[in-house]
Amino acid sequence: MVSTAMFLLSGLLIGLMMGWSLQRGRFCINSAYREVLFQDYTMLRAYLLAVVVAMVGANLFEDMGWLMQSDGAGGMVAGELYRQAFVPWANIIGGYIFGMGIVLAGGCGSGILYRVGEGNLAYVLAVFAFFFGIVVTKFGFLKPVYDLTISQVVYVGEETIPTLYNVIGVNKWIVIAVLAAVMLYFVLQGKPFQKAKKGYSWSLVGLLIGVIAVLAFWASAYYGGRARGLSFTGPVREFFLAVLFSDSKVPAGESLSLLGVTFSWSSLYVFAVPIGAYLSGKLLKEVKVKVPPADELMKVMFGGFVMGIGAQIGGGCNIGHSLTGVSTLAVSSWVANAFIILGNWTMVYFMLIKPMKDMDV
Amino acid sequence: MALKDESPAQTLDTLGRVCPYPLLLTKKAMEKLSSGQILKVLCDAPASAEDSIPRYAEKSGFSLETVKVEDKGMWEIFIKKP
Repeated sequence: MVSTAMFLLSGLLIGLMMGWSLQRGRFCINSAYREVLFQDYTMLRAYLLAVVVAMVGANLFEDMGWLMQSDGAGGMVAGELYRQAFVPWANIIGGYIFGMGIVLAGGCGSGILYRVGEGNLAYVLAVFAFFFGIVVTKFGFLKPVYDLTISQVVYVGEETIPTLYNVIGVNKWIVIAVLAAVMLYFVLQGKPFQKAKKGYSWSLVGLLIGVIAVLAFWASAYYGGRARGLSFTGPVREFFLAVLFSDSKVPAGESLSLLGVTFSWSSLYVFAVPIGAYLSGKLLKEVKVKVPPADELMKVMFGGFVMGIGAQIGGGCNIGHSLTGVSTLAVSSWVANAFIILGNWTMVYFMLIKPMKDMDV
Repeated sequence: MALKDESPAQTLDTLGRVCPYPLLLTKKAMEKLSSGQILKVLCDAPASAEDSIPRYAEKSGFSLETVKVEDKGMWEIFIKKP
């Protein structure tokens, strides 16, 4: 039986740790992908290290039977990692739209949230717009488009969710070993043991984010009823729904009712992310209320809206897919992640590379 | 002499701007500077001030000095074109 206090504590604690680590490490998957175009792989290495840690850790927890979750009858039972169904059109289109959105918004799903804690008003608007985009797509006028994109589901065999290993037909750990070896080889080329001049080195950040991702898999199963791990799209939606309508609208067994409000475990953790970032920033004396010029504010808000549409259609953001989903080896997340990268590069070209070229002329 | 004590050829104000504009504006300004000139950047986006702008300067072979102005929650970044 899960106690109310531990439900609250674990959610808040993981959110605080995540926000703190993101702020300290300046971790940003948006810039990890973007900087590849400028031949800088530092942030990409931090991201890949996080993926390796999350992938090995999460699958180990799964195979050891450590992902205990409620059996719905008062007892606990070992569960599996939550792997998203493969909806090719949704993963491709949604991922691409989301990838473009993060460049416009100046931050990814986790980026806009933790930077709220640093005090920039633009990101507060981006988070609201992100939620707006999600709701418009899931419940509003874009619902027909959303329903259409997720109507075609691809299974392996009868109704097994496709993963990298069951598609190839090999043992899961062979795939993990190969992927981890390739990623680590690349990570090690970046001198991971060199101490940072100040703050957290990129390798420490990657390691921390990876460990938090594994912890989140465990806690979301134990307290939240399902090993969904770290994500931002669903949780942001559930948080705002709980605030606005007193109900996160998640399946029974994945939420807690307190003072008339029914909220999911994930909505708690997402609430704590900006607080963790604020605490970290406050200690570094980096928190300041600030606001960009009006045109930039509009662009960021529009970007947040686009991100929300893309994330809802594609089934997740850069954390839900690119970190958590990728580490479960679900095909859906690998495809969505590839298109998030392509969307990111497309928008970087139009917003950052082309303007620089035009200036030279 | 430390870069921060020399007089900058230009001061670039990126206060309040979101990622990646501080970096983008810095790049644009640096391209216009002549050899030996210094750009002073005011920046309050932590990731840009401590991560992306220093890395850009290092890769471009520019010398860089950062002064964190803690009571204002911002950084003064001095970049010199060799």
